Amino acid sequence: MFKKILFATSATEACDHAARVAFNMAKSYDAQICILHVLGVPTRGFSQVVLDVKTKEKVTLDDEYIAWVEEEIKVHYSKQIATVQNYEIKVVIGLPHREILRAARETAPDLIVMGGSTGDDEDSVYKKSMVGSTLQRVAKVAPCPLLVVNRPAASFWGGMSNVVFGTDFSKASDAAFRFALKLVKALDCELHIFHALDIGSMHLGRSMTQDEIESNLRESLRRIRGRYIPEMKDIPEYDFEVWEGIPYVEIVKYAREKHADLIIMAHHTQKASQEDTRLGSNIEQVIVRAGCPVISINR
Amino acid sequence: MPEGKFCNKKPVETEEELKALLGDTGGKQYYEEMKSLDVDQALLWKTIQNTLKSRMKTWLEICAHCGMCADSCFLYLINDQDPKQVPAYKIQSTLGEIVKRKGKVNNEFMRMVMETAWAKCTCCNRCGMYCPHGIDMGVMFGYLRGLCYQQGFVPWEMKIGAGMHRVYRAQMDVTDEDFVETFEWMVEEYEEDYPGLEVPVDKEGADILYTVNAREVKHYPEDLAEAAILFHLAGENWTVPTSGWEQTSLAMFAGDWAACKMQVEHVYAAMERLKPKRMVGTECGHAHRATVVEGPYWAGRSTGKPPVESIHYVEWLAEALREGKLKIDPSKRLKKPVTLQDSCNYVRNNGLKDITREIMSYIVEPGYFKEMSPNREHNYCCGGGGGFNGIGLFRPQRNKALITKRDQILNVGAEMVIAPCHNCWDAIRDLEEEYKIGIKWSFLKPLVISMVEIPEHLKLQE
Amino acid sequence: MYDFLTGPMFWLSLGICLIGMLVRFVLYFRGLSWQLDRVAYKAYPFQGFKGAVNSIVKWLIPFGTYGWRKQPFMTVIFFGFHIGAVLVPLFLLAHNLFLKEKIGLSLPTLNPLIADVLTWTVIVSAIFLALRRIALPEVRILTTWYDYVILLLAVAPFITGLVARYELGSYTSWLTVHILCGEALLIAAPFTKLSHIVLFFASRAQLGMDYGIKRGGMKGKGMAW
Repeated sequence: MFKKILFATSATEACDHAARVAFNMAKSYDAQICILHVLGVPTRGFSQVVLDVKTKEKVTLDDEYIAWVEEEIKVHYSKQIATVQNYEIKVVIGLPHREILRAARETAPDLIVMGGSTGDDEDSVYKKSMVGSTLQRVAKVAPCPLLVVNRPAASFWGGMSNVVFGTDFSKASDAAFRFALKLVKALDCELHIFHALDIGSMHLGRSMTQDEIESNLRESLRRIRGRYIPEMKDIPEYDFEVWEGIPYVEIVKYAREKHADLIIMAHHTQKASQEDTRLGSNIEQVIVRAGCPVISINR
Repeated sequence: MPEGKFCNKKPVETEEELKALLGDTGGKQYYEEMKSLDVDQALLWKTIQNTLKSRMKTWLEICAHCGMCADSCFLYLINDQDPKQVPAYKIQSTLGEIVKRKGKVNNEFMRMVMETAWAKCTCCNRCGMYCPHGIDMGVMFGYLRGLCYQQGFVPWEMKIGAGMHRVYRAQMDVTDEDFVETFEWMVEEYEEDYPGLEVPVDKEGADILYTVNAREVKHYPEDLAEAAILFHLAGENWTVPTSGWEQTSLAMFAGDWAACKMQVEHVYAAMERLKPKRMVGTECGHAHRATVVEGPYWAGRSTGKPPVESIHYVEWLAEALREGKLKIDPSKRLKKPVTLQDSCNYVRNNGLKDITREIMSYIVEPGYFKEMSPNREHNYCCGGGGGFNGIGLFRPQRNKALITKRDQILNVGAEMVIAPCHNCWDAIRDLEEEYKIGIKWSFLKPLVISMVEIPEHLKLQE
Repeated sequence: MYDFLTGPMFWLSLGICLIGMLVRFVLYFRGLSWQLDRVAYKAYPFQGFKGAVNSIVKWLIPFGTYGWRKQPFMTVIFFGFHIGAVLVPLFLLAHNLFLKEKIGLSLPTLNPLIADVLTWTVIVSAIFLALRRIALPEVRILTTWYDYVILLLAVAPFITGLVARYELGSYTSWLTVHILCGEALLIAAPFTKLSHIVLFFASRAQLGMDYGIKRGGMKGKGMAW
């Protein structure tokens, strides 16, 4: 199912949880893993100075430095590397999201694995050239599923028994559903379809009446039945639910209740949020909060 | 050792030489070799005799030593009014001295000249506006850089930059294939959001031929997508050339006039091949100056104009907004204190001062646009112009120079600086990094995209 | 002596000055190169002319430019010096009487009181110009002995003329010195920085053409000098 995995990493602790999952997967699927590390963009297009990711010191880019970084990465992941058959380390220069996408386009992996947000680090070595985090930007346009591991609790890819698929009935959600189906079949596990009815910010500031909520809930259940159930003939075990609330909170709660090992969701926000990059969309909130890895799919 | 392996009088002509030079970390060996590089005094004097004609000769001669240029120079002001930073002194003690000594100057002198030409002048041309005699020391420093380049006394990055243009016809190692491929990739990334989005490549007779800055291809390809989106939404008939798409010229900063000519002729060839009605360049200041303002002269065009009418992105954008090709949703206009960085290269040096303000009137909520002081053609350089941004050796001087712009921004109380120029954008980004004053900075394209109304027929159908 | 100075020497110095200046002016413009200067002078004569005139006129008006407004003290002493330096030699009554006698032509003349005031202003301004060179570090660093010589050369006829006018000491010997200084000035003008008497206009015109043609004169509303 996953023959080629692109693991994008800062090669620091922030990515260790993601590393565990990435290497676990590479091992269990016998996949090729490409470890991608992005150095910052040079201060000026044609100047050769970047900040070292670890020391935050200014270093001059040259082959020697790049080779040294490669070596560092090899050391950092030495144990994990020993467990996989086929690996490759790539060190490139540029803006992280752009270089991850570039690598994804060049190597066409089946899955991209990333760590969660490294936080709004004031002295991030990567130039904050535009709004939106690396994650947001990769998630938005990645050509393949994107697996994000944010919390240590999520750093596990072992025996999968419960997969949660969160839907908002968009086109992208359909794509996510197809992927979930495939995965569930391959892993032989349970599928939990979930939709959260947003009763928070929406609806012009007036709260919905309970009748409205309930009728919406019924409507959503009907949509799940009509849209997804017919395609799930050969899935032995599944269930589906619709809860009301703030979507990302409800999904995280639901996943916890179902002991989910993985959440699959669609990323289909049109534009990276301009004003507040921390708020982001539902999926980004789920990534930050979930106790398991999250796969984001946009097409 | 008169001629070094890296530091010599020969321009970089091949990819191998370029890679070798790049391999010399930080130009360590390069600058070491420079210390023993010979000055070809005969060549220097001959070149001066051939090229230093009445304009500059007169400038050097009639300078009244009145010092009125001092206050006009932001580098003089920011360096605690160091008399050695007075523009007239800077040029008289370098070019003036070389002429006086008929080219008989030594290595040490030339290294001093190099530092003066690249670390004490950004060729912003502001002093020329404050000299009663109309002596434009920025122009003379541009000329002096050419003499330095010819003698091999040029900052490492500048030699590389000029070499890039010679080898790749682009300021970075971006090939024609990379360019087209990246542009197509970007369009693919965005075509779901903007149905029908495309990048017409090498289309003959289009209304607009779009040219870019190689940095966009290399590091900021979103910019290409944004350009495509805006042309698409404005319903323009546009195209990009497969070759001749690079509008910038680091050769101009380096003083490598031969490379300047090669680069600009390459772009003109694309114009002649594709015969567009107009050429629109990206949001870059020096690129516009190189290709549109100075380029025609390097290419020997006596009209002083490129083969087809060529305009800066801000001119196209103002026109599109004015004529309603692009419509701004008034509720999405910027509602925070915004200021505008005037790029020396197309404001002081090409008069585009009002057109950028017209754009502001469309995209900023009335009352939120604040003018820096001074502004328009009197505005100070961002602090990183003329190649200053890119020279590692002179980074401390550059960082000091940024303070001028920092204080201008702080004084006006802006939260965002709109900088429709790559170089200014970089400098402002760097000053935020260096001094952390909590501002945002942006090109125009992403801002306009965030507030433009999408025409009904181009809307995404759910 | 007086006869020699007002006779052959007068014609000689005036000739050197006028011809020299003319030559310099012509050579200046002949030495302009559209390609080296990167200004298409010939392609846009009208825009060039407009730019040139604008560039000259603005700078001839006291406080007419940003540059002048930025340095009010300099502006006052600069114009104090130059207005007198141009008007007094040309329009002084005594000069025109002399001219009438020599060539039978004369220019309108200045009220003697105004002429006195202007002359004093020239001298006082010159003193301030010299003091400014000493006092301000940014001017001091530029200043060479040559600058003082030029200043002295320029102001000497005014000082001597004034001394003669107030008849301090021997009028005729001061007058002789005055004429000598004036003629020295005329002879020196084409060969020294004093050539700016005409080259100021040439250089300003050139930059005006540059801005008028290339640097945006055809795009914006022209330069705000």
